[in-house]
Amino acid sequence: MGISDGFKYAYIVARVRAMKGKLIPKEMYPKFLNMEIPEITRFIGETEYKKNVDELSKKYSGTDLFEHALNENLALTYRKLLDVSQGEANFLITEYLHSWDIWNIKTILRGKFSGASEEEILEDVVSAGQLRYRDITEIVKIDSVEGVIAAFAGTPYYHVLQEYSGDLADIENKLDKMYYSSLLKAVSSTGNKLFLKYLRTEIDLINLKLLFRMKRGGMERDDILKMLIPGGFELKETDLNRLSSLSFDEFVRALEDYSYWKAISDVSEDLSSLFNVETRLDKYAQSYITSISYYYPLSILPVLAYIISKKIEIDNLRIVVRGKETALKEDIIKTHLVM
Amino acid sequence: MVEPSAMLADPKGLIAIGAGIAVGLAGIGAGMGEQTIGAAAVGAMAEDEKFFGKGLLMTVIPESIAIFGLVVALILLFVF
Repeated sequence: MGISDGFKYAYIVARVRAMKGKLIPKEMYPKFLNMEIPEITRFIGETEYKKNVDELSKKYSGTDLFEHALNENLALTYRKLLDVSQGEANFLITEYLHSWDIWNIKTILRGKFSGASEEEILEDVVSAGQLRYRDITEIVKIDSVEGVIAAFAGTPYYHVLQEYSGDLADIENKLDKMYYSSLLKAVSSTGNKLFLKYLRTEIDLINLKLLFRMKRGGMERDDILKMLIPGGFELKETDLNRLSSLSFDEFVRALEDYSYWKAISDVSEDLSSLFNVETRLDKYAQSYITSISYYYPLSILPVLAYIISKKIEIDNLRIVVRGKETALKEDIIKTHLVM
Repeated sequence: MVEPSAMLADPKGLIAIGAGIAVGLAGIGAGMGEQTIGAAAVGAMAEDEKFFGKGLLMTVIPESIAIFGLVVALILLFVF
């Protein structure tokens, strides 16, 4: 990495590091567990979320206010990253954040498929990608799934959405595959090997989660292989072929050969709930990107580390509040938190 | 016909050129260092104004390289 590469990332990395300092420290989450929802909302209202909570408090209250404030803050934070970055950093962030377009499309399709109201769908929308909130609010007004798909004509997602034939899981999987294949292509074109390595690890972790779920569900090998995303770092095609043909217990034992085992080894004895595994894999992704971002401080990696940490913060806050709302025990909420 | 002594360069001129190179290259080096640090300092300051003091301090640290160049130039000019 030459001086010019370092210069390109110095501004955005310093900015992101300052933003990272404003994230809620993980020591706060156990304290949140002892607070009531209004107290948590008040605390959040005194931090980076102040503006969002103040603006939305006229329209919403309680957990709805919380949910909307978190989503709006996440979208604005990601949009800010796009605004303050330039050149290669901007290109890579834009490509990475396309995942939120996919998220929004999935949310709308799921909502329309299950007959959810416009308000319920908008509660889960995060306009951090290329699709703007006002466009999404227009699309949400359409009644049928087919109508929603037609509204996406002209976007890069349309040719995948056109293949919809009533099977929502299939179209969601195709959207994920499309996202990762175009992202891998875009990142390869920049020659940014660091980002590529992280991305391929992320694909591995998604495939692992899918394998755990589908193995637990007792799905057939061919059906599993159809759902997995190609392009992983450690879990290459031959590994995926082998793992998908094993039984659940054999599959768990076979994972000992991979570096991801250290992330899940302590919960491998008790796999009654896959939440433990998924939480640990999320934690692995966060600690992996954070550690490699220290090795390469003037690269895209600190920005990615922030994007992921911010997402985890929002998810954790949501888990705490939703858990509190449904009167879940503290221990159960704690196991779901990524800390 | 040119006198052989006239063909030899004046040592004072060579010293001046050496001093110029010392200051010039040191300045370019310091500038390259400050470029990256300055960009980072502005980024940090844009998020939090409290970084102004630290950012300014960090930005001028490579300036010491330019001072080394200046010292070398002064030694060349006044000692030799």
